[in-house]
Amino acid sequence: MFDLIIRNITNRKVRSALTICGIALGIFAVIVMGAMSENFHQTFERSMSVTSDKIRVFAESGVFGGGLTDDKVSDVLRVAGVKDAYGLLMTTFDEDKMGMTGKQILGVPPEKSSVALYPVELKAGRFLNPGDSYSVVVGNNIKREYGLQTGSKFEIHDKYFTVVGILDYTGSIFDNAVIIPLETAQDLYNVGDSVSYIFAVPDERVDAEMLSKRIELSVKGTSTLSPGELEVQAKQSFMIFSVITISSGLLAAIIGGLCVMNTMLMSVAERTREFGILKAIGAETRDILLLTLGEASFMGFLGGILGILVGVGAVYVMNAWLATTRIVLFLITPRLLIIAMVFALLIGALSGLYPAYRASKMSPMEALKHA
Amino acid sequence: MREEKTERLASAEKSGKKEVRNEESVREKSGNDKQKVIMQVENLSKTYIQGKIPVHALRCACITVRKGELLAIMGPSGSGKSTLLALIGTLEKATDGKIILDGTDLTSVPEKLLPGVRREKIGFIFQHYNLIPTLSALENVELAMRFSRVPKKEREERAKALLEDLGLGDRLDHKPSELSGGEQQRVSIARALANRPALILADEPTGEVDSKTRDSIVRTFKELSKKGQTILVVTHDPEVAKECSRVLRITDGTIKDN
Repeated sequence: MFDLIIRNITNRKVRSALTICGIALGIFAVIVMGAMSENFHQTFERSMSVTSDKIRVFAESGVFGGGLTDDKVSDVLRVAGVKDAYGLLMTTFDEDKMGMTGKQILGVPPEKSSVALYPVELKAGRFLNPGDSYSVVVGNNIKREYGLQTGSKFEIHDKYFTVVGILDYTGSIFDNAVIIPLETAQDLYNVGDSVSYIFAVPDERVDAEMLSKRIELSVKGTSTLSPGELEVQAKQSFMIFSVITISSGLLAAIIGGLCVMNTMLMSVAERTREFGILKAIGAETRDILLLTLGEASFMGFLGGILGILVGVGAVYVMNAWLATTRIVLFLITPRLLIIAMVFALLIGALSGLYPAYRASKMSPMEALKHA
Repeated sequence: MREEKTERLASAEKSGKKEVRNEESVREKSGNDKQKVIMQVENLSKTYIQGKIPVHALRCACITVRKGELLAIMGPSGSGKSTLLALIGTLEKATDGKIILDGTDLTSVPEKLLPGVRREKIGFIFQHYNLIPTLSALENVELAMRFSRVPKKEREERAKALLEDLGLGDRLDHKPSELSGGEQQRVSIARALANRPALILADEPTGEVDSKTRDSIVRTFKELSKKGQTILVVTHDPEVAKECSRVLRITDGTIKDN
């Protein structure tokens, strides 16, 4: 039966090719949008795993509202159950690019740099040490982009820093981080003793969620984000992002599906007499269903393969192009490829269902009378 | 040619597939079977409802057909010939009556099992040949056997043998569009014979061919009939009817002569 299906597809070359292209376009959109979502998902997951043990303490007015200063660190440290606390200053590296490259300056107290970044490991060199002022630890992407190695000079905000450490690749926000001593960062960006937020590390036996509430109540003018709350918040943002990206891909794929349905309906209408002949010579309903559904599914399969190939190719090209600007937007995962392929097959099969039903239900006599 | 055929028969019989009927044995056997009733049509009626008006396409038709008969059904357009053929071919449901073909009452076969009946017991030959345009002559003949789940190798061998018997040995790979009307009709005959049916129903098989091709088709029918194949031919052509062993005339849904 498969040879008949192939023959029916190849006999209407142009129409079949256009239909396959329609599906391929939809699957291409699923791949590109999905790859964007997958990249976001991976960065989120890895970033979460790196910072999941810490409570974030912000100024009540929010992270960009200011008002959080170094002295709040000691207030946080005084709260029962807080094992450690330190302030961090976070700002964009490329101010002229509005932070679109994802590169960030992270001002960290030098003595806390290894714990603040834990469990990220060093690929080369060391973390910041007490007494360091114009020393810098860079993420893996920064190292690659600027061709840095330990001992290299690196210009930040018109000042030269010595690279003392290079972080291992994490797939998280730390790959694009430029870590400098907190005080140097505060001077460099002229923010006095302000910090963006405070990391509070809970004692081993303390419930982080409870401690988070306690800090909020004990330290005036602060709000907190516990690891649990951060996860929920991030997951919500991720969900919204995923829904937007995936649904635009799915929409394109559904249009591809309608394309198949249209082709199959035309094909069934054109082959009415043929179905009558097949029934007259003894074809069962399931044979007709198999022929029609098989044709639609196979076109879905071919469209899926084509869409995946073009999509992966496009993602590769776009990632290579964006690599020069250090923006990583797309990530192809096996999960995404499987979803795209299953979706292509489903589109084909579901779109072929109605035409197949119509073909199988034809009265052989009526079909034979068809001109 | 004769030697070739005998060789093929010998090899087919050797493999236990009974590929092609041995002419001699079939002739001998058909002599004994000639009296066997292959089909009995009893009080067969078909009424269509057009709007609210009943139209009696066929009224109380009774026919007895013996094995190996070449039976012509004649009548003016709209007399009910094609309806009779469609009812016997299980393409339509009778309003009343019975059709007993090769021991099976076709009118009581459930809808789901009708394709099986059409595959195993009936072969169709149409006026417009009704071959699948995208398939070759060989594949068109094979197609009938596909649905009977005949293994591929056996299908090919049987289809090839049938087409060779009908003089189309050198046209196996030709598409219908590359064949003449007569050749297409012979492919159609081969397809009808593919599953070795008890009965072949031919609806105006010579309606679209010239007189030479018509004569060749009628000759083929007569040869098949001699071998024991029962054939019902709906025709307008008296020349075709003349060559048949019996002629039925239908007027206004009623069989006049039997």
